[in-house]
Amino acid sequence: MNLYLLLLLVSFVSCHQHNQKLEPLAQGTPKRRRWVVEKREKKKKKKKKKKKKREQMEDPQANGDHNHNHIPKKLKLSSPSSFISDSEIRQEFAHHQLGIARINNGSFGSCPASIIAAQKQWQLRFLQQPDDFFFNHLQNGILRSRTLITSLINADHVDEVSIVDNATTAAAIVLQHVGWAFAEGRFQKGDAVVMLHCAFQAVKKSIEAYVTRAGGSVIVVQLPFPVHSDQEIIAEFRKGLAMGKAHGRKVRLAIIDHITSMPCVVIPVRELVQICREEGVEQVFVDAAHAIGSVHVDVKEIGADFYVSNLHKWFFCPPSVAFLYCRKSPIALDLHHPVVSHEYGNGLAIESAWIGTRDYSSQLVVPDVLDFVNRFEGGIAGIRKRNHDAVVRMGELLARAWGTHLGSPPEMCPSMAMVGLPSSLRISSDDDALKLRTHLRDHFEVEVPIYYQALKDGEIGGDNWDGRVAGYARISHQVYNTVDDYLKLRDAINQLVKDGVTCNNLP
Amino acid sequence: MASDDHHIPNGSTTTPPDIQFEFAHHDPAIARINNGSFGSCPSSVISAQQDWQLKWLQQPDDFYFNTLKPSILKARLIIRDLINADHVEEISIVDNATTAAAIVLQHVTWSFLSSQFQPGDAAIILHYAYGAIKKSLQAYVARAGGQIIEVKLPFPVNSDEEIIQEFGKALELGRMNGRKIRLALIDHITSMPSVVIPVKELVKMCREEDVDQIFVDGAHAIGCVDIDVKDIGADYYTSNLHKWFFCPPAVAFLHCKKSDILNQLHHPVVSHEYGNGLAIESSWIGTRDYSAQLVVPEVMDFVNRFDGGIDGIKKRNHEKVVEMAIMLAKAWGTHLGVPPQMCSSMAMVGLPACLGIFSHSDGLKLRAYLRDCFKVEVPIYYREPEKGEHTPITGYARISHQVYNTVEDYYKFRDAVNKLFNDGVTCAFLSD
Repeated sequence: MNLYLLLLLVSFVSCHQHNQKLEPLAQGTPKRRRWVVEKREKKKKKKKKKKKKREQMEDPQANGDHNHNHIPKKLKLSSPSSFISDSEIRQEFAHHQLGIARINNGSFGSCPASIIAAQKQWQLRFLQQPDDFFFNHLQNGILRSRTLITSLINADHVDEVSIVDNATTAAAIVLQHVGWAFAEGRFQKGDAVVMLHCAFQAVKKSIEAYVTRAGGSVIVVQLPFPVHSDQEIIAEFRKGLAMGKAHGRKVRLAIIDHITSMPCVVIPVRELVQICREEGVEQVFVDAAHAIGSVHVDVKEIGADFYVSNLHKWFFCPPSVAFLYCRKSPIALDLHHPVVSHEYGNGLAIESAWIGTRDYSSQLVVPDVLDFVNRFEGGIAGIRKRNHDAVVRMGELLARAWGTHLGSPPEMCPSMAMVGLPSSLRISSDDDALKLRTHLRDHFEVEVPIYYQALKDGEIGGDNWDGRVAGYARISHQVYNTVDDYLKLRDAINQLVKDGVTCNNLP
Repeated sequence: MASDDHHIPNGSTTTPPDIQFEFAHHDPAIARINNGSFGSCPSSVISAQQDWQLKWLQQPDDFYFNTLKPSILKARLIIRDLINADHVEEISIVDNATTAAAIVLQHVTWSFLSSQFQPGDAAIILHYAYGAIKKSLQAYVARAGGQIIEVKLPFPVNSDEEIIQEFGKALELGRMNGRKIRLALIDHITSMPSVVIPVKELVKMCREEDVDQIFVDGAHAIGCVDIDVKDIGADYYTSNLHKWFFCPPAVAFLHCKKSDILNQLHHPVVSHEYGNGLAIESSWIGTRDYSAQLVVPEVMDFVNRFDGGIDGIKKRNHEKVVEMAIMLAKAWGTHLGVPPQMCSSMAMVGLPACLGIFSHSDGLKLRAYLRDCFKVEVPIYYREPEKGEHTPITGYARISHQVYNTVEDYYKFRDAVNKLFNDGVTCAFLSD
C-alpha cells in the first residue's frame, strides 16, 4: 500500500516538475522574478535534500516526507519498471509540434525537455556572472564533455577530441589544413582529394572552397543505390579509387561518410579506410554526422585520421554540438579552428573551446545527456537497437503498402531507412522531391525528406514510369516516434496515388 | 519604478522598462562594472530568445524552410538602418567580431596566395588591437607572407591629435622601401586600454596614403558610440550587438561596402550556400542555434522604451561613467587614462601605485581578488611604465556603465581599493 501511494505521489510530482521546467516564461510579470529567485534558492536546498531522498527511495517501505518540489529527474525504484516510461517520454518531447508526424530526426535531431532545462541553467549561469563563468567554469565544463565523449567513442586521449558546432565546421577545419598544405608546397598542384558522389552538399562546397581553389583535384567515387550489400560498396569504392589514381595522382585525403545523408546508407567504413591505406591515401576523414547515437562508434577500430559526428542529431543534445576526433599525429598539431582567438596555437581542442563570446551551453550538457540516455533500457545501445528495429519494421510496412522496396537491406539501415515511393508520383528531379516534401508537410502534416534517384547511365527513362522507383522517403525513428506517424505517411501517399497526383501537378 | 510614459516614434505610448526586473538574473551580490567584456541581456530579450528557440525545437524543418531566412533578413534590415548603410546586401550577421576578422583576413590570405599581394606587403594594426585580432593576423596574414606593422599609441592619452600623429608615423613606416599597405585594421574603441579612436580621421589618412583596404573593428561600438558607416568610410566595419546593444550571446554584424571584393568574401565555415554572397553564407553555416540573431527587433522595442532610445542610453551611460571615474580618481588620488571626450561608456581609472601592479598577470590576480574577496567585477589593465617615470601609475581599472548600474557599484569598488590601500596589500601578496 505504501509503495502504491509512493508511486502515485511520484507521478503527481513528476508532472509538477515537468510543468515547472517547460512553462514558457511569461514576459514582464513579477511572477518571473519570483521564479528566478525561488529557483536559485531551491537549487541550494535540493543538494541537501538529494541525499535524504536517495536513502528513502532505496527503501520502498520508507514513507518519509516528500518535498513536492525536490524530486530529482531520475527516479530509480527498486522494481524492474525503473526505466523511463512511455508517458515520461511523451513529456520529454511534449514541445514537439502536435499533429505533425515527425519522421525526419535525421536532418535536425531532437532534444528532450530535461536537457533543454539543463541547457537553460548553463545559459543563466553565464548571464548571471559571465566573467566568473569564463574564468572559472567554462573550460572545465567543456573538458568534462570532451572526456565523456572520449570514452564514448573509444578514443585514446582527450587531447584527440575537440568540440565544434557541427560537422560542417569540422570539414572547414580539416580542409583548410589541406588548403594550407597546397599553399605552402607540401602538396603539389593536381594532388587529389577523394569524396563520395553523395557526400553532403556542405562538404562538396568545402572541397571547392579549400581544395580546388588551392589547386587540388577531386576524385568522385560513385556508390550504387539502391544497394544490396557491403560488398557492392566495397567493390565500387575500390574501383573508383583505383580509376581516380590513374596517371600517378597522389591522393592526399579521402572523405568518407559513415552514414550517407541522401540517400541514407550505412557505409562499411572500416573496410573503406583499410582500402585507402592499401591504396596509399595519406589521410582519411570520416564524416559521420549521423553516427553517434545511431550506430556503434569506435574510432580506433575504424582507424581514420579524422572522425566527426553531430551530437544534436541522434544524441539528444540541443543545437548545436559535434566532436571532431583527430588521431594523435604531427598533422593534428597543425590543425586550426578557422575563427582565430587568443587561444590560437594552443591546440585545436583549446582553440575550439573559445572562439570569442558565444553561447557554449549546448557543449556543456553532455553529462546531462548521458544521464538521460541511461534512463532507457540498455542506455544508448538499447536506444539504437530499438530505433533500428522499429525503422526497419516501419520501412517494410510502407514498402508493402506501396508496392515498392527498401533502398538498402536492413543491416545497412541505421535509425533511418530509404523507402521507395510509388512510381505514379513521377518524381523526376530534386525540385520535384522538394515539392513533394513541402506538400506532405503543408497538406498532410507529415515531415519527411524525399530523395530523388537519378537514372543510371543506360537506363531507359522518358515516359516509361512503370514500376520505376525514382523517389525514396528517408524515414527516421527516434524514441518519440509511434506507429501512427508512419501510418500517417502511408495514408498520405496512398491518398496522393489514389487522386492521381504527380509531382508535375503539385503547386 | 519609472515615472512618466514615454512616446515611441510611431506615436503609441510605452512604459519605460523596470530595470530591476529586466536584470534580476544578474548576481545581486556583485558590483558588475564590466559590461565591456561580455555585455548583458535583459529578461524580456532572453524571454523572446527562448520563444525563438522553442519554435525551432517544435518543428525545425518548417522553421528552416519558412522562418529562419526572413527573420535573419529582418534583423539585417534593422542593422542597416542603425548604422546608415546603403544596402542590406552590405550587412552580414556573424557570431562576433572575431569571426568577422577571420572572414576579412582569410580573403587577405587568398590575395597573397594568388599573388595579388606580394610577400612583404603590409597590414597595419594598433598596438592595442584585441588579442584575437593579433592572432588572426598571425594565422592569416603573416603565415601567407604579409608583414604586420603595429602602431604604438600613447597611454595615458590626452587628445585625438596624439593618436593621429602616431598613426601617421606608422603609415610612413609601412610604405618605406616601396612597400604596399594592403590592409589597415583600426579599432573604433580599443579594448584594453579603452579609448575612443578618431576613426574617421584615420580612415581619411589611409585613403590619402593609398592603403588598399580599411577594416574598422568596432566590437564595442554599437550601443556605445555613434556609428555611421558611410561617414566613417571604411571598407569593412564590425560590431558586437551582445556587448552594448542588449542582444544575447552572440550576434555581430559585418558591414562590407559594396565593391567587387564583397563578392569574394566567404564565411570560413562553408555550407551549401557557398557562393551565394557573404550574407547568405553567414545565415546558414550548418545546424546551429541562430536565435540570438533573431531577437534584434525585440531589442529595438526594448531600447525604444528608454527616454531617447539607444541615443539616450549612450549619452547617459557616457555621462555616468565619466562622473564615476572622476569620483574614483579623486578618492584614490589618481587620474583618468583618457579625457572624457575619448571615453565611451567605459573609462580607464588609474589605480593607486602602491598596489604594486607590475605585470599583466598582476592585473589578473588583482581582478580575481576583487571578484572573490570584494565581489567587484572589473578588468584591470597593466601599463608598462616609461623610462624615468617616478612612482608611475601602472594599473588602470576599466569601469563600464550600463543601464543596470547604480552608484553603489562604484562605491563598492572605491571602498575595496581603499581597503587594500589601507591594509598595505600589494599584488605581490596575492596568490596566483
